Amino acid sequence: MRKQHIFIYFISILFTISVNSQEKIDTVKTKESYGIRIGLDISKPITSFLDNNTNGYEFVGDIRVFKNYYAAVELGFTDKTTIEDYLNFTTKGSYFKAGFNYNVYKNWKGMNNEIYIGLRYGLSFFNQTLNSYTPHVKGTYFTPNTLEPNTEFNDLTAQWVEIVFGMKVETFKNLYLGVSVSFNNMLNTKEPENFKNLYVPGFNRVFLNNAGVGFNYTLSYLIPIFKKEEK
Amino acid sequence: MKKNYAIIFVFLFTFLSCEKDDICVESTTPNLIIKFYDNDDQTVVKQITELTVWADSKDSIYVNKSLDSISIPLNLNENFTKYILESNTIKDTIKFTYSRNDIFVSRSCGYKTIFENFQIESNTTNWIKNISIINSTIDNEKAAHIYIFH
Repeated sequence: MRKQHIFIYFISILFTISVNSQEKIDTVKTKESYGIRIGLDISKPITSFLDNNTNGYEFVGDIRVFKNYYAAVELGFTDKTTIEDYLNFTTKGSYFKAGFNYNVYKNWKGMNNEIYIGLRYGLSFFNQTLNSYTPHVKGTYFTPNTLEPNTEFNDLTAQWVEIVFGMKVETFKNLYLGVSVSFNNMLNTKEPENFKNLYVPGFNRVFLNNAGVGFNYTLSYLIPIFKKEEK
Repeated sequence: MKKNYAIIFVFLFTFLSCEKDDICVESTTPNLIIKFYDNDDQTVVKQITELTVWADSKDSIYVNKSLDSISIPLNLNENFTKYILESNTIKDTIKFTYSRNDIFVSRSCGYKTIFENFQIESNTTNWIKNISIINSTIDNEKAAHIYIFH
């Protein structure tokens, strides 16, 4: 009986040692890359190619500041002609967005994917050209002619905020594919006289209650600057 | 985490509550509204009988109607419109002149035209006794712009 007890005691010690040694293997520290990630929106050149009325590009970049926080910027240019029932106008201008992303995705060790929520401040400088319009009349007794004033409204500005939802997946080493959707809310705009900013570069279509929606599909490359050990 | 999702949804709905702006619901280019009054007692509305109205070289808008007011469109491509008002087979011609001003309304409505410096350049007086302009700017359809006394 006593012998058996001693035997069990030794086995249990062995067991705890082996468990301890396994834990040690698990706690081997992994290194996570910190750096600048730069890329571009691949949907914009495609829509430029498919749609003759739209022309634009956008560069994206972010820097990992803390474990789950990324400072992010977007820079772009848009030249878009919008055709409505009674209006035809061209918007041309550039935009800048800055803010941060917060990663809510818990990665496995060694993985660097993201599902994030972000906030942005957006700023755009642009021109509008009213190419043509047809005065709106009820009925068809007198049919109005379409007028082509080609009025240019220069030096217009807009400022807005965005909430961004997106994800980024590391497909190859340091190469990321990303997709995001943003919900925009206009803070203020410099409106043209006797016209309205119905489209703003970066903000996209301005809805009646000053809301907007944006999408982007990005391809970006991480330039690693340093590696930090993560526990 | 659940709390976070709730916050996200609240944000989503505040941002997504877009209003419809594809359909034009605002008032656009106004018509000219004419009201008919009795020439003997100029405060009394007097109906006109068998009224037929058409613009010069166009189809009729009203045919043999008995009315105390009419609403007629003005030509947006010219700075004048000539109307023929026929009552009981007696014709009268009125030539309206104005300047046009296009005002932006909305995405779906585009521009509306309002008429300023509205004047009567000439009119015949076969059944019309007198005309008075109440409002020389036609930018809405809330009230009559001219009174015709007969």
